[in-house]
Amino acid sequence: MYQSKPSISMILISIALVILTACSPVAPTAAPEGPQATEAPPEAPVTEAPTEAPAATEAPISVENTLSVASNISDLITLDPAVVYEYSGILVTHNVYQTLVTFVGSDLQTITPGLADSWETVDADDHWELTFKLHPGNTFASGNPITADDVVYSFNRAIAINGPPAFLFTGVAGLTADSVTAVDPETVLINLPKTASPAAFLAVLTNTIASVVDSKEVMAHETGDDNGTTWLQDHSAGSGAYVLDHWTKEVEVLLTANPNFNGDKPALSSVLISHVPESANQLTQLQVGDADIALNLTAEQLATLSGDATSVQGADLRLFYLGMNVAKPPLDKVEVREALRMAIDYDGIVNDLLSGNAQKVQTIIPSPMFGYNSDAPFQQDVEGAKALLEQAGVSDLNLEMLIPDGAAPGGVQWSDLAAKLQSDWDQAGMTVTIKQVSFAELLDAYRAQGAELALLYWGPDFADPDTNVTPFTDYEANSIAWRNSWNDPDIAAQAKAAAIMTDAAEREAAYKEITEYVLHNGPYAVLYQPAALFGVRSTVQGFEWNPMGFTDFWSIIKIA
Amino acid sequence: MTLLSYLLRRLVGFAAVLIGVSIITFGLSHLVPTDPAVVALGDHATDEQIDAFREKYGLNKPVPEQYRIYVTTLLHGDLGISLRTRRPVADDLHDFFPATFELSLTALILSILIGIPAGVVSATARNRLPDHVVRIVSLIGGSVPIFWLGLILIGFFYGRLGWLPGGARIDKFIPPPPMVTGLFTVDSLLAGNSEAFWSSVHHLLLPALALGYFSTAIIARMMRSSMLEVLPQMYVLAARAKGLRQRRVVWRHAARNALIPAVTTIGVTFGSLLSGAVLTETIFSWPGLGRYATSSAINLDFPAVMGVTLLAALVYTATNLIVDVGYQWLDPRIRHG
Repeated sequence: MYQSKPSISMILISIALVILTACSPVAPTAAPEGPQATEAPPEAPVTEAPTEAPAATEAPISVENTLSVASNISDLITLDPAVVYEYSGILVTHNVYQTLVTFVGSDLQTITPGLADSWETVDADDHWELTFKLHPGNTFASGNPITADDVVYSFNRAIAINGPPAFLFTGVAGLTADSVTAVDPETVLINLPKTASPAAFLAVLTNTIASVVDSKEVMAHETGDDNGTTWLQDHSAGSGAYVLDHWTKEVEVLLTANPNFNGDKPALSSVLISHVPESANQLTQLQVGDADIALNLTAEQLATLSGDATSVQGADLRLFYLGMNVAKPPLDKVEVREALRMAIDYDGIVNDLLSGNAQKVQTIIPSPMFGYNSDAPFQQDVEGAKALLEQAGVSDLNLEMLIPDGAAPGGVQWSDLAAKLQSDWDQAGMTVTIKQVSFAELLDAYRAQGAELALLYWGPDFADPDTNVTPFTDYEANSIAWRNSWNDPDIAAQAKAAAIMTDAAEREAAYKEITEYVLHNGPYAVLYQPAALFGVRSTVQGFEWNPMGFTDFWSIIKIA
Repeated sequence: MTLLSYLLRRLVGFAAVLIGVSIITFGLSHLVPTDPAVVALGDHATDEQIDAFREKYGLNKPVPEQYRIYVTTLLHGDLGISLRTRRPVADDLHDFFPATFELSLTALILSILIGIPAGVVSATARNRLPDHVVRIVSLIGGSVPIFWLGLILIGFFYGRLGWLPGGARIDKFIPPPPMVTGLFTVDSLLAGNSEAFWSSVHHLLLPALALGYFSTAIIARMMRSSMLEVLPQMYVLAARAKGLRQRRVVWRHAARNALIPAVTTIGVTFGSLLSGAVLTETIFSWPGLGRYATSSAINLDFPAVMGVTLLAALVYTATNLIVDVGYQWLDPRIRHG
């Protein structure tokens, strides 16, 4: 009865035939030799040519004129500068938009002109007045002139959208919809409340939220009351060195040179950021030469590089710290907290656990930020720690430490770091049990003042010490100090005063005093600040990492 | 009972499975003792922002109420908005599923093309060299972790020899074909773009091999043991006694009957290929559903997790249906009642 049906060998042969047919080149008639420009398939659906840059680049992208970056860009959810607050998104938008003022290269100390040539801060009794003079004649990639109205539109747009970085404008700077005005087409006036720090605000202005967008372009692409967020999610309307050609989710972001850029023409006409989630694969791509820069290599992988590629170090502003909840006795005793700090082998963590790819930082402002205090008095002193415990009258210390699961940024497993701390404390007779939970679970408990000890990190939001000092000191700010139940109104008042100081020397001295106080009295043990590590081909020059998490692609060149 | 009414009955079953899966997934994902708003907004978010996020995505409502809302919108064909990508889940699935499907299907085809003949050869050459080779190779396939295999394949074929690309679906300097099916190989053929076609075939080979090795091994072993059961049967002896040639006896008489258990395995394997794609996709930078599912689960992105689960359930049930129909076709004595 089965004779009438195809036999199994025939089935297999047919499958093989189908595959072979599929694998054979397309019929010659369909693929004529020679120039095929008109035959070439249209661009992928996502690769819409940016409307603002007609015929931006004549030369097609090729290995020679493209900077190939291998990176894990799975965090990318939008490229709208008013909404973006993810590492990859900031890296891209930084190269596509310009801000009034900016930092150059890896510097974080000197605010330099961006779209604004000059600015001044005036004390107008009940508020600060900041006036910015725009550089005349600048245009967006679209060719539209950049005016003060674009600045007003961009800032008010960011406030109205109220996205993840909006607190920088509304919270840190206290801006409202009436704060920013255009005095004339080249002058922008910004009123800050006296509670805000002008220095911190200037640092905020270097962030991507302060990017100036092409208001005409964006308004032309608004849908409903979305302020253009849907369109700007994967299009660009800026004046930076590059324009966004396309972003294919989980695949790549392609930037091409902005023909109307007001600065020097970038050496490389395109930047292709490919999504390579596995670092071992990034390493191979770098070694083979398919990637010019790999952003997510581990320290061990970087150590294997030689010849064609090398390791480049940058700063990472995250501080890894231990939070000690003072509402959980005996952590209310300052001696106990000091004993915990004193028993830790900081050098061992930096040199052994992190193979030297970190900096021993023990105060709450990271290097090289303004106000950084290099004081690092702690190194394991078991006897000293025991003596402090005795002084506090605590004999059998038994605490629980919450730690996140997985790998900590900087290349160490959270569990390894925790085990090291546990054994250090054990030497001084302090018993700490480790409870590993998901990062979300840890945050849930931590935010509700529910942890005894918590191991995690803090990354600054903007390049001013206030971004760390307020959360670490001000209980009312409802952030780190609150989570550790540390309510010290004096230090919070000092922090508030330091934030709004306009004299740099005076401000620096104030931060020195605050950081020194927190070092011994606060509920933290700052463990280290990791280094940012990258693999770079030796043909690539000019790569410099800004500690705020980006690089200026336009400064990079490739030599043959 | 005709095939049509059988299919109709199975379709009703589909619906029941999907409802069950949706309730279980929804319930399980809401048992997690963490707040998706905290995950989505992170360490620096203020309490107000977190409350606003809960309000916006309806996370502050009781779970049964949330489920009711979810099902209501689902019945309108809306899978909701992802908490992580902030895009409609349906759009995300539409973007990522074809990549996974193409990869899994290629892996499956490779496993069938290699696994079945290998199993047959192994059984007919029992305890001789070909058998030993197949058994050793499939033993390795059954025990090697995909992650390791993938890295080794990349290191050797891409890093050392430079023969094959080490990741992505297509060369980065070749524009992908216009989307019709979402399968790059098919779409580039439809567009008559041989360059894109060859590039996507090249890019498929290593990940499909890594992903398909395990199932190849399973299929080969299953085929071997089932052939060993069939070969001593009387009808095989009868076929031989008739004077048929060995090849015909093995392939037409024995292999066909030995295929039934193998087909079951193939069905189950396809499901495991889809889930195994998670690791393969990470190693090979493959923009598929596996990575999307993992990221969604880690970020407690309920709507996305639900969307992926429902889609996976749909694929599983469809595969089962195809397998069941396949039985009947292979052995007409099997009647669906």
